[in-house]
Amino acid sequence: MSRNQEIGVAKPMVDASPKARGEARFAADIQLPNLAVAKLLPSLHAHAEVLSIDTSVAEAMPGVYAVITGSDIPEVEGFDPYDHAHGFLARRFAVHVGQPVAAVAAKDPSTAEEALAAIRVAYRVLAPILNAAAALEPGQPVVSRDATASPSEESPSNNAGDAEMINGDLDAGFASADVVLEETYEIPMIHQGYLEPHAVTAWWKQQGHVDVWECVQSPFGARDHIVQTLGIPAHKIALHTTDIGGAFGGKDQGLFSPIAVLLAKKAERPVRLALTREEELTIANPAPMTKIRLKVGVSSNGAITAVDGEVRVDVGAFRTYWGPASFSVCHMLVDKYRVPAFRLHAQDVFTNRVGFGSYRAPMAVQAAFAIESMLDELGCRLGIDPIEMRKRNLISEGEVGAGGAPMPKHGGTAVLQSLMNHAAWRGTKSGRNEDGMCYGRGFALGLWGSGAFPAAAIARLEKGGYVRFTIGQVDLTGSYTSLAQIAAEELGISADRIVFSRADTSRAPFASVSGGSSTIYSMGGAVQEAARELREKIVERAALELDVDRSELRMNDVAVTVEGKSDKRIELDALYEAETSLFFAKYEPFVARGAKGGRVSRMSAPCFSGTIAEVAVNPETGAVKVLRLVTAQDVGKAINPMLVEGQIQGAAAQSVGAALWEAVEYDDAGRVRNADLLDYRLPTAADLPKIETILIEEEGGDGPFGAKGVGEPPMIAPAAAVANAIRNAIGQRINQLPLNPESIWQAMQ
Amino acid sequence: MNLLEMQLEVNGRQRSVQVEANRTLLEVLRDDLGLIGAKEGCGSGDCGACTVLVDDEAMCSCMLLAVEAEGRQITTIEGIAPAGELHPVQSAFVECGALQCGFCTPGMVLSTVALLRRSPQPTEDEIRDALAGNLCRCTGYDKIVRAVQVAAEEAVHV
Repeated sequence: MSRNQEIGVAKPMVDASPKARGEARFAADIQLPNLAVAKLLPSLHAHAEVLSIDTSVAEAMPGVYAVITGSDIPEVEGFDPYDHAHGFLARRFAVHVGQPVAAVAAKDPSTAEEALAAIRVAYRVLAPILNAAAALEPGQPVVSRDATASPSEESPSNNAGDAEMINGDLDAGFASADVVLEETYEIPMIHQGYLEPHAVTAWWKQQGHVDVWECVQSPFGARDHIVQTLGIPAHKIALHTTDIGGAFGGKDQGLFSPIAVLLAKKAERPVRLALTREEELTIANPAPMTKIRLKVGVSSNGAITAVDGEVRVDVGAFRTYWGPASFSVCHMLVDKYRVPAFRLHAQDVFTNRVGFGSYRAPMAVQAAFAIESMLDELGCRLGIDPIEMRKRNLISEGEVGAGGAPMPKHGGTAVLQSLMNHAAWRGTKSGRNEDGMCYGRGFALGLWGSGAFPAAAIARLEKGGYVRFTIGQVDLTGSYTSLAQIAAEELGISADRIVFSRADTSRAPFASVSGGSSTIYSMGGAVQEAARELREKIVERAALELDVDRSELRMNDVAVTVEGKSDKRIELDALYEAETSLFFAKYEPFVARGAKGGRVSRMSAPCFSGTIAEVAVNPETGAVKVLRLVTAQDVGKAINPMLVEGQIQGAAAQSVGAALWEAVEYDDAGRVRNADLLDYRLPTAADLPKIETILIEEEGGDGPFGAKGVGEPPMIAPAAAVANAIRNAIGQRINQLPLNPESIWQAMQ
Repeated sequence: MNLLEMQLEVNGRQRSVQVEANRTLLEVLRDDLGLIGAKEGCGSGDCGACTVLVDDEAMCSCMLLAVEAEGRQITTIEGIAPAGELHPVQSAFVECGALQCGFCTPGMVLSTVALLRRSPQPTEDEIRDALAGNLCRCTGYDKIVRAVQVAAEEAVHV
């Protein structure tokens, strides 16, 4: 078989042209007969008891098909009032501003809005709990919870989960340090900022069965969300994924599908719920507010001797399935360096804010802002070059890391080396310039331990000489393109002979969430295996047909040929006919399968990503201009370098947004003050410089063709790199994000 | 609300529609005319996903009432190239990897078309300023800027 025709080739996404023509079908583009529009009635209070809801006027309005409240939610086994999944509609208590207390399905948006205005809700307003530090103190009010059928044994508290990580002799570690620094870092609530708001359409098309169309990263997770919250059996739900207008962790398994499903049942017609941008920024699972106290000791050569820390995450009103979030932070504070002794305390706290969700490399940006600022500052104190400082502490292959397992082979050193020698590091000036601006450069390092989730794929020969894969995975900005390249390489045909069916949960073999930078790693492995099995069967049958040994056979786009004898061949389509012709089929139709199991270790293929940022600060205004960004990343093997670069550049932009502008702001009553894209400021084209990428291909990962996770690692370092660059430019360090002009100007006074 | 009978010129065709006065051009394009290439990302003119050309000028169709668009030439993403084909700006976006999720792309392409019509050889700063009203969360804008440069370059050689 010919090899290396597809892997490492930069090519446009398979769906790039239709997307450029505006033909992509996002969740709000799904058209169905008699489709009704759903709208949500938000709680006006951060914390309140819902005494009564009068929906009678709204229900009687012409054009209103259904109104639901918490009393319409069926009782389900396993109801957990602490679980984010169950918070889609308030029951007895509303626990954050914007939490839906009722929902309406109507013929059009304005009718739905009028119906919402006619609903009367009587609240008993409770004091909102908005201060995570105070919320844990004894005697403080607790976020109110609905009772469960079997009352939880835990006594009511705002403790949403805590844990401690301890290793080595902390006292001895600090005693041997030459310099000890203690700082507290604060990272605000930030939003994923995808441009497509959440949308979900539900239709009880067939008695007792519901079809759901939703923009989610995890089709089976989204299905299970409905099973869990409404008690509908999984086999009676078909969850259809749509094209996704950006997700970044925020569209994991959906949020409000139960509302669309309940409304559609009551309205007896399909119902679509699409969030407004205001709802997105108010009630759609942002990354949580995080506070990190960190004390680090280093010896005079820069080596870390001890780390002591306390991480507190304000998780809002609910737990999420992968929490505690603070524990993830603790882990990532110490996972990439050699830390002989540490003690880290993790604490998640309930408050009356919206529940949190994943945001691209969840909690890693927060952890990196703390530890990478700290190492930068320690490097400044010791006079050690920032990149050199990381090099001296970088965990080596085989060393046991924070997770307790030995570190596999990794590309961390190569990443550091490539940036240390880069012109952006060697040649950049710092300090105040003649033009009055303050220039600086900063560096930060990120690590993401990608691994495998379970995944399965089905492949078969398609009429016309194509190969069709059926998978449940969504095509998240290029996944199918890279999967096609993997399949084509394995089959020995070109990628444009590969077609994918994105199947709903009633038809697809299992696929995990398109997240955790695991899609290519997991589904790529399954697709590769299915392709290999299919090729073997094709070659086996061709050998029979041509009466030659299979080792003599070569496969191309249209036929299997005998090496050196171009006339001795069998067309792929002839093989298809040989397994499908009604009366003349010689073989049974062949279906190949590939499947990969999950892997528990987070560090099966560690991905290092480092960023250099260069900034200019205007001392008169405190405004920052990012002049240059360079990210070097160990990608194992870039299946499609253009798409890999795109991931790195997009992540860098998001991370810079978190550094300089982005924060969901709350007032004292628990209302979001900036729930629009003018005031929640995403980076624009005019804000950003060229984003340079260096792809390092360190072998050793066990992903397909050596590929490692790509999407999340480049998110981690840029925010801290920008912060370090600002420190370098102005000589002052600011430990609270975002580094807005006001805080920078104040630090410079 | 009363329905108003009106004519809209969309992609070179006269279309008769009956609309309430409070409906936006975006709603009418998507819901009445089936032109779903324009997207609603914010509904307040901040993101640019609903951008269309109105008399050659890039505008947010969510900020324009349908009745205000009467008598003006409206071009949507569906109208800049014959069906199934790509406008040179679209080709450049595809080849340069300037799109990922594709949600902002129709608006981004139309803003680029408007830019290149008024300034065929824009500098990088001009490009970035011209596209600052079109948010993209996926690409970091790098490859979008390259695509605009490629489109401008190729227009010279045509």
